[in-house]
Amino acid sequence: MDLLNILIVDDEYGMRRGAERALRKMHLHLHDINGDVSFNIRTAADGREFDERMAEEQPDIVILDYKLPDTTGLDILDRLMKQPLDLLVIMITAYASLDTAVTATRRGAYDFLAKPFTPEELRGAVRKAARHLILQRQARRLAEEKRQVRFQFVSVLAHEMKAPISAIEGYLQMMRERAVGETLADYDHIVDRCLVRIEGMRKLISDLLDMTSIESGQRQRVIATVDLGEIARQAVENVKAEAARRGITIDLDLPEGAGIEADRAEIEMIFNNLVSNAVKYNRDGGRVGVRVQEVEDEIRLDVEDSGIGMTPEECQRLFRDFSRIKNDKTRHISGSGLGLSTLKKIVTLYDGDISVESRPDVGSTFSVVLRPGSANASR
Amino acid sequence: MAHILLVDDDQDIIEMNRTVLAQRGHRVTVSFSAAEARRAVAAEVPDLAVLDVMMEDKTAGFELARELHASYPKMPLVMLTGISKEMDLQFGFTPDETWLPVSTFLNKPVNPRILADEVDRLLKEVQ
Repeated sequence: MDLLNILIVDDEYGMRRGAERALRKMHLHLHDINGDVSFNIRTAADGREFDERMAEEQPDIVILDYKLPDTTGLDILDRLMKQPLDLLVIMITAYASLDTAVTATRRGAYDFLAKPFTPEELRGAVRKAARHLILQRQARRLAEEKRQVRFQFVSVLAHEMKAPISAIEGYLQMMRERAVGETLADYDHIVDRCLVRIEGMRKLISDLLDMTSIESGQRQRVIATVDLGEIARQAVENVKAEAARRGITIDLDLPEGAGIEADRAEIEMIFNNLVSNAVKYNRDGGRVGVRVQEVEDEIRLDVEDSGIGMTPEECQRLFRDFSRIKNDKTRHISGSGLGLSTLKKIVTLYDGDISVESRPDVGSTFSVVLRPGSANASR
Repeated sequence: MAHILLVDDDQDIIEMNRTVLAQRGHRVTVSFSAAEARRAVAAEVPDLAVLDVMMEDKTAGFELARELHASYPKMPLVMLTGISKEMDLQFGFTPDETWLPVSTFLNKPVNPRILADEVDRLLKEVQ
């Protein structure tokens, strides 16, 4: 519920009382933001009282008579417009004096009312101004939030990009100063670490590009029948070497001929990401289960691992940008922290969901539900 | 020889600094988070601590520095950070020794040798 302060400035007592009566019990419901507005009314009879009311509390809407005993409405308007005040002025003008109305509007008044006006006309003008003011404030608030989110994102991104550079630079300094020996072989480990950090940075950049392309909506999506079996097998193939090296077995459970109307690249991202995570965050000798089910119009994908698992608190943070679970068990695993947040953005394109169930040291199951028949999917 | 606590969430930064400090004959304890560092200090108080600013969150290193200074006012603290630009952006100002009780700020990326030189200099000062 928003409460807007209205200040009525008019030298005629009857006008002030009448206007106050017309507005006092007024309530407004704004459908587009589903918000209610009520009004608090104050009055002033001249310029001096106007100043007093302004000093007490700043109004949101000023209903301002053109003619006042000690000043003019236009002078007050000019004073108000010179300051960065978040308020609207409705100018009351004498009958048929269009010139004044035009001047007032040009000098910053939001609207004008020509005397004499009915209570309903007054309420209409206030309704219009209130609506404008509230929508404008809301738009401003959203823009500010957006700037904040962007600032947060960029500062975390900067930190994530500087970390590998700092590590590599430190190692190079050690090499230049022959810190651990005279032969190249003494630096094998350092060179390996530098390569790992460069690979991590490359992955961060590619994940960032994937995420941006999904978010921007600029990417040309091609909706066609996608063979889920083929995509699942390819996702497994991509991690086969790593899984074999660590003795991790991967089971695939696919219905015959499972398919979906979707953008192939997006579906590949979902499968590749979840299957590769299931291997990455597994224990040596563990197992991964990949299961696809078609239930009526939905496609359900479950990827289960016997890995390090997560606490409920960790699960909650998991799908945010740059959210990586940092602990002893994940320290040696590299990742950009953007993979799952990108998947979350993809599944919304299919009116779907992504969720996780997990137990520390037991394993995690990531479940994706896609509803390809939905309106968004073919957008 | 002294006992040094290294606190950083980046395993490579830990590794390079540990290597060089160990070469100078120091005994090094490492912690990957402020929470871990608190446990390490509770188990054994180091002679000097080297802290990164951002760990669990943006200011975990600051809080740790203040705590350590309150409990062990004589323990030299070295803070590793990209102070200038990063701090200006995030906090609207550049923290200095009067704001944060650390002996030295070193800007990342830090050459491990320069860190080790600074550690040795600070240890000599408190001796």
